Amino acid sequence: MLGPSVPWYLAISGILFGIGTVGVMLRRSPLIVLLSLEIMLNAGNLALVGFSRSWGVSDGQVFALAVMAVAASEVCVGLGLIVAMARKRLALDVDELSELRG
Amino acid sequence: MGNFLVWVIWIGAASGCLASGVAVISFTNPFYSALALIGNLASLAVLYLLVSAEFVAAAQVLVYAGAVMVMFLFVIAYLGGRADAPWAGGPRWLRLSAVVAGVALMAEVVVALLWKSDRLNDSPKIDSTFGSPAEIGRLLLTDHLLAFEITSIVLLVAAVGGVVLGIQAREPDAD
Amino acid sequence: MTALAVGGWICLLAPLAGALLITLAGTSISRRTAAYLGTLSVFVAFVGALTAFFSMWSHSPADRSELSTAFTWLSGGSFHVGMSILVDPLSIVMMLVVSGVGGLIVGYSIGYMDGDDEERRYFAYMAIFVFAMLMLVEAGNLLLLLVGWGLVGLASYLLIGFWHHRPEAVAAAKKAFVMNAIGDATMALGFFLLIFKTGSLDFSVVFGGAASLDSTTVNLVALGLLGGAVAKSAQLPLQTWLPDAMEGPTPVSALIHAATMVTAGVYLIVRTHSIFEAAHSIQDLAAGLGAATLVVAGLIALVQTDIKRVIAYSTMSQIGYMFVGAGLGAYASGMFHLVTHAFFKALLFLVAGVIIHHLAGEQDIRRMGGLKASMPRIWLAFLVGSLALVGIPPFAGFWSKDPILAAALARGDAFGWILLVTGLVGAFLTGVYTFRLFFRVFYGEPSELVTEHAHEHGDNDRVVSLSLGVPVAILTVLSTVGGLLEIAGVWDPFGSWIAQVAEPLVEPSTAQEWATSAVAVTVGAAGMWVAWAIYRTGRLSVPALPAVQRLLEHKFYFDELYDAIAYRPAQLLAMWLRNEVETPFVEGSLDEIGRVGQEAGAGVARAQTGLLRTYALAIAVSALVLAVIFVAVR
Repeated sequence: MLGPSVPWYLAISGILFGIGTVGVMLRRSPLIVLLSLEIMLNAGNLALVGFSRSWGVSDGQVFALAVMAVAASEVCVGLGLIVAMARKRLALDVDELSELRG
Repeated sequence: MGNFLVWVIWIGAASGCLASGVAVISFTNPFYSALALIGNLASLAVLYLLVSAEFVAAAQVLVYAGAVMVMFLFVIAYLGGRADAPWAGGPRWLRLSAVVAGVALMAEVVVALLWKSDRLNDSPKIDSTFGSPAEIGRLLLTDHLLAFEITSIVLLVAAVGGVVLGIQAREPDAD
Repeated sequence: MTALAVGGWICLLAPLAGALLITLAGTSISRRTAAYLGTLSVFVAFVGALTAFFSMWSHSPADRSELSTAFTWLSGGSFHVGMSILVDPLSIVMMLVVSGVGGLIVGYSIGYMDGDDEERRYFAYMAIFVFAMLMLVEAGNLLLLLVGWGLVGLASYLLIGFWHHRPEAVAAAKKAFVMNAIGDATMALGFFLLIFKTGSLDFSVVFGGAASLDSTTVNLVALGLLGGAVAKSAQLPLQTWLPDAMEGPTPVSALIHAATMVTAGVYLIVRTHSIFEAAHSIQDLAAGLGAATLVVAGLIALVQTDIKRVIAYSTMSQIGYMFVGAGLGAYASGMFHLVTHAFFKALLFLVAGVIIHHLAGEQDIRRMGGLKASMPRIWLAFLVGSLALVGIPPFAGFWSKDPILAAALARGDAFGWILLVTGLVGAFLTGVYTFRLFFRVFYGEPSELVTEHAHEHGDNDRVVSLSLGVPVAILTVLSTVGGLLEIAGVWDPFGSWIAQVAEPLVEPSTAQEWATSAVAVTVGAAGMWVAWAIYRTGRLSVPALPAVQRLLEHKFYFDELYDAIAYRPAQLLAMWLRNEVETPFVEGSLDEIGRVGQEAGAGVARAQTGLLRTYALAIAVSALVLAVIFVAVR
């Protein structure tokens, strides 16, 4: 294989995943949270594809496609929620939306 | 020469990935964050190509950068200024531990790779069917048919959910 | 079943049936009907006792006792207790007295309690009492005896506190019950010891084996029995409840606190005489306590102003005589005095009841006087009762009290002489206080109270006047001739009857009997003369000894003593426990449990921040940890 071996790709995937986690936990706007979630999902995809290359079978890539489809549906529903919240004039701030407080 | 080139491209794509990732979580304006994400997705597509996963790379650009990000941009444009929530806030311990947890995750992955990556260093030889649409299609329709069908149901549910959320929002002041 | 057993069971169960019927019928029967029902049930018991008696009489002496067991009541390991009754000469005497005199008194109550709102409850309680007392005397083993013992205490409590809206009555009932409970406790402890040592509570086993037990055991058991007897019979030192028990209706005082319940102690000692004979010192102690009581009670009676309390102290004193008799081993004399005492003491109480009834509830003798003119027949009845009590021949008390004194003489040693002298002093006091009462009530100038009620005599209701009059008449006759069952040296049917069950330990000679009788009668007559001199003619006056007067009026300060040594410490302990143990620990621990639950819940609730970000953090950290584990383990 030309270029870096698979572990390098996996490292990138791990770092990206960490970045996405920090973004989810740190930002208050639900839009940015969704974006960070996308980063995490993509990191997972990269790991899947990397492993698929390391095994030499394409099943990992099939799974990556499935993840992509699910991510797309999740974004669709999430954005719909955000638009509904905006229409109801709720503050777009995950700290404000804490009615599940015990 | 080929190897060197691949390395260069790899470093470029990887740094672009990481930089755009950091940019996504750093910008205050969500529009800029979304654009940074598009950059991220593009970099990832390049990385996919470097591992010979062509179909996934193509799907990434088409689906993610093409469809999902467009949806995002539409919503951000629609919400406009109202989506500008401040960057930080909430309890200090939360912020601190968020950063710590994230860094820990990254560190952990790196450590795990350095420690246990003996088996991963040798990648088998692959032929031209690896990552080709024909191969992916064959796998989708034979070995992973169930996943394929379930994914289609998930997409259906999401479509219905999106419509429902949209319809509810369309009766604004009737409550 | 033989006639003996049938008679015994009918005698026992008839009053119970009466009580149950009255209770179950409730308000669907009239109060008078309930009264008739109660009386009838006791008379049926008397018929049963008579049947058993005649059957027993016709048997030969060896064949006169029968133990009839209905079923096995308790059974644990090798310890068995049957529901059994023992019909023998001793128990038949008690059965006849309880059901006979009891029947007369319950019949008297028809008239006395007429008009009371809670008449039905009264008659149910009376029937329960008669049943309980019969169970006590008919019990075939010590456990059933204890059951009867306790039930009798309960009935006494219920009847003393019958007029429950009077706080004094309620307090008196509680006092009686608690003091009796002390006796119950000592008896129970004695029984535990018996079970431990002999494995059974059947009379035959216990009495047969009494001589072979070691002396500590038998002394402790006898002491326990004596404790019960002392409490039930209101002897020193557990005597303070009896005067207070006069808060109950007069027929109750007559039946329970004169004729039957308080004599249960004497019956117990006679029944368990084998144990007492094996524990000589305890038997002597019984006699000693009886002697002490009879003098103390006689002294206190000298200053009492309530007609019922005088008679109550007189009862206490006479039971002292019975204890002396039983303690000396003169069982037949003790039992005979029990029988005659039942007659004349019940008579005195019933007469007092008629007087109280006539004077609309007045019991203070200082407000009476000159009743002879308005109540001549009552005067006669009271006179007969008083003469019987003092022991003047030919009335009943003479024939029964003097053999006890003769037995003391026959004993011979110093203790016997002490008992004899005490008994004679007691006879003197009896004469004084009895006739003090007699003269104060019936002679002298009629007080305004008496003149007020003088013309109300003669109830309109025929039944009431019959029910009040007939029992008094019958008891008067019995007090006159009842003593003739035992004429010392001439004929001795009662003595030999009881001797079949309990052989006497001392047999005074005829000479001793007549000698003591002469002295006792003289002493009693002297007491009567003193009373006549002070209260009738005024020739002597009461010596002015204020300290003695105070001592007697405070009943030798027994109540104050018990208050200080028993009640106050118990109260203090209870308050201390309440403040130091109950409130902080028991209540506090319940509060604590609640509080801990609440705080735990609050603590857990703090994790529910509602912030999305904290949940995300939690997930991230968990993923981290799991990843570390996977990497490290694999």
